[in-house]
Amino acid sequence: MTEKELQRKRLEKFIQERDMLHAMVQAFTQSPTAEEQLYAGLTKVYVDHHNEIIRCVEEGKPFIASYFACAPEIYSAMDLPWYTFLTPAFTGAISEPTLSAEIDGSEKLFGKDLCTILRIAGYYIEEDVAPIPTAIIGLLHPCDGTTVLHQIIASNENWSKVPQFAADPPYWEDERSIDYYVGELKRMVAFLEEHTGYRLDMDRLREVIEVSNKEYELWMEYNELRRAVPCPHGYGVGMQAFGVVEGFLVGDPRGIDWLKILVADAEKLVQEKRGKVPNERIRLFWFDVVSLGWSFDLFPWLEQEWGAVIVMDMFGYTPYTLIDTSSEVTMFRGLAKRALFDVPMVRQARGVADNFLADIRRVVKDYKINCVVWPGHMGHKDGSANIGMMRETCREIGVPFLHIGLDLFDKRYTAIDEIKDKFSQFFTAMGLG
Amino acid sequence: METKVKTKAMQEFSEAAKTLVNPAVQDWRKQGGKVVGCFCSYVPEEIITAAGFLPFRMRATGSAGTELADAYLSSINCSFTRHCFNMGLRGEYGFVEGVIWPSTCDHVRRTYDNWKRKVETPFVHIMSLPKKTEEPQVGWYRDEMVNLKKALEKHFGVKITDERLWEAIRLHNETRRLQRQLYELRKKRNPPITGAEALAVMVAGTAMPKERYNQLLKELLDEISQLEGNADYRARLMIVGGILDDPAYIEVIESQGGLVVTDMTCFGTKIMWNDVAEGAGDPLTALARYYIADRPSCPRMFGDYSRRADFVREMVREFKVDGIIGERLIFCDLWTVEHYMLDKDLKAEGVPYLKLDREYLLGGIGQLRTRVQAFLETMRR
Repeated sequence: MTEKELQRKRLEKFIQERDMLHAMVQAFTQSPTAEEQLYAGLTKVYVDHHNEIIRCVEEGKPFIASYFACAPEIYSAMDLPWYTFLTPAFTGAISEPTLSAEIDGSEKLFGKDLCTILRIAGYYIEEDVAPIPTAIIGLLHPCDGTTVLHQIIASNENWSKVPQFAADPPYWEDERSIDYYVGELKRMVAFLEEHTGYRLDMDRLREVIEVSNKEYELWMEYNELRRAVPCPHGYGVGMQAFGVVEGFLVGDPRGIDWLKILVADAEKLVQEKRGKVPNERIRLFWFDVVSLGWSFDLFPWLEQEWGAVIVMDMFGYTPYTLIDTSSEVTMFRGLAKRALFDVPMVRQARGVADNFLADIRRVVKDYKINCVVWPGHMGHKDGSANIGMMRETCREIGVPFLHIGLDLFDKRYTAIDEIKDKFSQFFTAMGLG
Repeated sequence: METKVKTKAMQEFSEAAKTLVNPAVQDWRKQGGKVVGCFCSYVPEEIITAAGFLPFRMRATGSAGTELADAYLSSINCSFTRHCFNMGLRGEYGFVEGVIWPSTCDHVRRTYDNWKRKVETPFVHIMSLPKKTEEPQVGWYRDEMVNLKKALEKHFGVKITDERLWEAIRLHNETRRLQRQLYELRKKRNPPITGAEALAVMVAGTAMPKERYNQLLKELLDEISQLEGNADYRARLMIVGGILDDPAYIEVIESQGGLVVTDMTCFGTKIMWNDVAEGAGDPLTALARYYIADRPSCPRMFGDYSRRADFVREMVREFKVDGIIGERLIFCDLWTVEHYMLDKDLKAEGVPYLKLDREYLLGGIGQLRTRVQAFLETMRR
């Protein structure tokens, strides 16, 4: 294969994803609902982001692969394009036969008990269908799976030549841990400067963080509005907000614009006492990712059949911490704290189980939750070892708890009818709905 | 593979490997000694020894089920942790005064969270174990050791001095040296000890006072160095994997004609192939460097795969290994990928590699025999 053909092969999936997102923009734009109009704006940003990465590949410009949890404020401040190879597994849910084939392919390589989304990412690496970046910033928490994904990358013939750095995460939440992680972030910056040729300017970092702080403020304001009964928006919007604040619009004024529209829309609905579900009867805390695949059937069914709204989910919820931008020291300490303590999924799953349980207590109280659902994704080994503790916490605070056991990305793992049946029996037994 | 080793030492080792509270632990406790459990080989046992206690590697030997643990853990959590926790809930770990965990993996670290809430162990402690093996991580783990030392001192009212730490380091290094001598004998064309027996010796080393163990091991080495050795085998095998503490598993493998001559496992070479650097300076730094940077690392350590793979290659060369059996506890993500990479790399170098999934309790013996038999046949052995 020529270099050009190889490049095309590696971009193929990415281009497919871009085209799929573009089609979604068209669909959302034509929707009459304000919620879907919001999605249209955001999805357009994702399309632009994909185009940027494609351009970088074609023009040989630096770009990196990374995640939301690795202080992406730094990449934004360096104007360094980045992408994450986990998203095709998310968006792939739109084309289930393709995704299922990829899941099966990944199973042949890695067996079937490693988290599906990580397995698929590993599969893309081994099959050489992901654009090879200039450098990689890896993620070593919150779970074992993320660490081993980066081992796969490091040992793959083509990807092993790509320099890779991953910050080592401490287990605690104290000043010593922050200091330690600051050291790791500084090493990360040095690594990026060395391998991309881009430089981190402190004034630019300050600008990005100040915008990011505003984004967090707006996200929190939005989350306050979700406390209303009925809840103004349903599933999915929280994930979108997360995607803006911690994803591709980190420290980007367009993120502020989008969040302002989101807040305004939610405010209007709250003032009019209009909820996503006309007859809201059940307020759920879905304590995991709101995956795209289940967004086409399970979540709409919950709303329509049971008047059950996912008021809050794992990714929609984050504590609000302003970063002090007065000095380089305070900025790096703030970024370290944010990366360890504020980022969804990482903050709950990385340390002791108390992090999980504290979320349940807080969210149930603040959002007037009727029941807590632990979907029990097959990849969440640590979370699934919290089942007893979660159940007992829910019992203490007087809210029912449901553990399902499913795959957020492979709907064949637990059939949807079985899941619906579990929900129905649970709601009935608990006198909900 | 029939054992030829019938010494008193071997009997004590076998007893310690197949019993949780072996006679040596019972004697220790009768004399007023305290036992502190270690949930992984990354717990710096020397600190426990320096405190005057017996470090005891947590196992679920003798466990019959997980019916109590299953109310807290799920079916996608590894069976080792479920069985251990079950034994804790049943009170079978009442003989330990404390348990120490590193944040090793998702299953182990959550066992800490559940254990501290549900099992009445007087002292429980978790250490933040780094995920890399570089200098900053050595520094971090040294600080974690300082915190462990302080916590032990505070809870038990003891003083752990540098002098005592160096004494402990020397004692544990002596154990490692003797264990390496045992493995040296396994390099012979006709090793005088089977893989199952060797595993029993290694497991016993984590379950009895080191002074006693070292004495017994010296006796065993004297005895078996005179033996003719095992000539009746089809292939020399290496076991690569995580927590394998049951000699019966190796017996099944060896019943098909393979002789396990070495390993890279959590009860095997990983815990003894290197020594803690002795001498002047800070003993905790020496310990941190040993546990994080020097010895063969766990697959949880990012960026260290090539060193682990080189270690496996070194073992293959030195022990003249014909084939590798990679064992994994089901739901272990770390070993899923480690075996995937080792299998790919070593097969490309002509080293046969068999991947086996298992549960903590030995089961599916017929299937295991068949897989091993087929593996030996593919090696034309």
